[in-house]
Amino acid sequence: MTDLINVENLTFVNRRKKARLFSSAKNFELGPINFSLKAGETLAIVGANGSGKSLLAKLLVGLEKPASGHISLNGDVLTKFNQRQRCFNVRMIFQNSNESLNPGITLGGILDEPLRLNTDLNLLQRAAKIEQTLQQVGLMPEHQFFYRHMLSDGQRQRVALARALILNPQVLVADEPFAALDPSVRSQIVNLLMNIQRDLGLGFIFISHNLGIVRHISDKIIVMKGGKIIEAGKTEVIFNWPKEEYTQKLVHTHQALINRQVT
Amino acid sequence: MSLLDIKNLTLEIDLASGWVKALDKINLVINEGQIHALVGESGSGKSIIVKAIVGALPDRWRVTADRMTWRGQDLLTMSASERRKVIRNDISVIFQNPKNSLDPLLTLGEQIKELVPTYRLESFWFWQRAAEREKIAIELIHKVGIKDHKLCMQSYPHQIANDVCQKFMIAMALVSEPKLIIADDPTRGMEVTAKSQILKLLSRVNQVRKLSVLFVSHDLLAISSMAHYMTVLYCGQTVESGKMLQLRKRALHPYTQALLDSAPSFRKELPPKSPLSSLDGTIPTLQHLPIGCRLGPRCPRARKECVVVPAVRRVHEHYYSCHYPLHWDKK
Repeated sequence: MTDLINVENLTFVNRRKKARLFSSAKNFELGPINFSLKAGETLAIVGANGSGKSLLAKLLVGLEKPASGHISLNGDVLTKFNQRQRCFNVRMIFQNSNESLNPGITLGGILDEPLRLNTDLNLLQRAAKIEQTLQQVGLMPEHQFFYRHMLSDGQRQRVALARALILNPQVLVADEPFAALDPSVRSQIVNLLMNIQRDLGLGFIFISHNLGIVRHISDKIIVMKGGKIIEAGKTEVIFNWPKEEYTQKLVHTHQALINRQVT
Repeated sequence: MSLLDIKNLTLEIDLASGWVKALDKINLVINEGQIHALVGESGSGKSIIVKAIVGALPDRWRVTADRMTWRGQDLLTMSASERRKVIRNDISVIFQNPKNSLDPLLTLGEQIKELVPTYRLESFWFWQRAAEREKIAIELIHKVGIKDHKLCMQSYPHQIANDVCQKFMIAMALVSEPKLIIADDPTRGMEVTAKSQILKLLSRVNQVRKLSVLFVSHDLLAISSMAHYMTVLYCGQTVESGKMLQLRKRALHPYTQALLDSAPSFRKELPPKSPLSSLDGTIPTLQHLPIGCRLGPRCPRARKECVVVPAVRRVHEHYYSCHYPLHWDKK
């Protein structure tokens, strides 16, 4: 079975800020990054703040341009010439689902946009697709006439998920999808994502600080620090036999938090 | 002896549809030297309770309580200036978002030095006082585990990492040598190592200085690692309160059980990728509160009687309010 997504030697250098003569600020460098993901697998990216996790997610969906290296989807290298293929197949759920939804247009409008820009469907077909996707994520067809402020956090997250799913992607990239959610709603979204992944065979890449959830739903883990991958492997292996010092610290603190009982 | 004793705190908010009870008969007792956790989802009124304690609510909201006392003094009947004095001296609050609650126009050093109370200064001459303030500030910054005090005191809030900022907020809370620290979601959005540092810091402060901590959060993992006592809120009603260990071992209210189940870390026997148990629906908004037990529409055990607000019942030191608690099945 070939890999769904394959990343080879991906690097990124932040060149936007001009280095001044006396400034000691160094440019942020990411990479080189290598990993691959099969269909139906879940990859979790773990790391400290500022370790380049979000940047990696942006590189995957094409919001930032890599300095070198390449990403291939089903064996085809993604370049600017097949941007369309990437738009269809790699979709993203942004960090703050609340602010990534346009407050000025209805949810139907938000979900309509990717269809209008990427497909040749006519109005009726688009409407049918929107209804179907809303139902798929557990919302009602009437929700397409709602605005962002009328929804709760969990529902907003569902809309963000619907927007990502509406083009039937093969890979879903999510930047901290569970961070802003309350515990009882969070389990709903986790269940929903796992169900959808099982039904559609999506590759799912997500960033999270919550090691409990990472352990529960991911197959593979990448641990990042300072823009580099310091450890990668199967979830069970990383949690049971962490090699690098940073990973050990992370796992042990997590275990200590669970085991520490106040008497 | 209990420091803070709140009984039947009710807060009404004036909405277009009439007065709505945002908090409905909240009971909360904080004892000396205790870490008390206040758990609830967003919109359950955790932050409003914090604001009601320190008196930071708008005047047009109606606050009523049978009892709301701070070491025997009634907080509701005392004058505004007296209350302010009590809160200045005895209660410190660490607010939710450290970066937003610090002044962006002043350096961190200026902000913490401003907070040093005059009675802590021993020097007689005014020109020695600035140096003394600085000394106290640096001492505290070291105590909370920030090593480079110079850099920290010279920088503005936006230049500092989030977890360092949070530690600095704890240092600022300690300046007035309070009896109670209220930490309003101090570990939100942090990664595990930073989170555990903040938690350790708070428990150390609790042990060394005999400080009480009211820890407000929805992160059960963090709470269960440090708190002695826990109160669970849902939608402005206290659902269950009791000792942390008891609650974790045997929760009586279906909502507490659902919260505990929703954290996969607590359940080691759970196979990976299996569905997590969760409650249907979401927290209702203030405009659409259900009558009676507010969990009613989402509760798997709801029956006809649940449209009446359940009275608080008690098993030893374990209080709960539910018509059909979980331990009744086993009989």
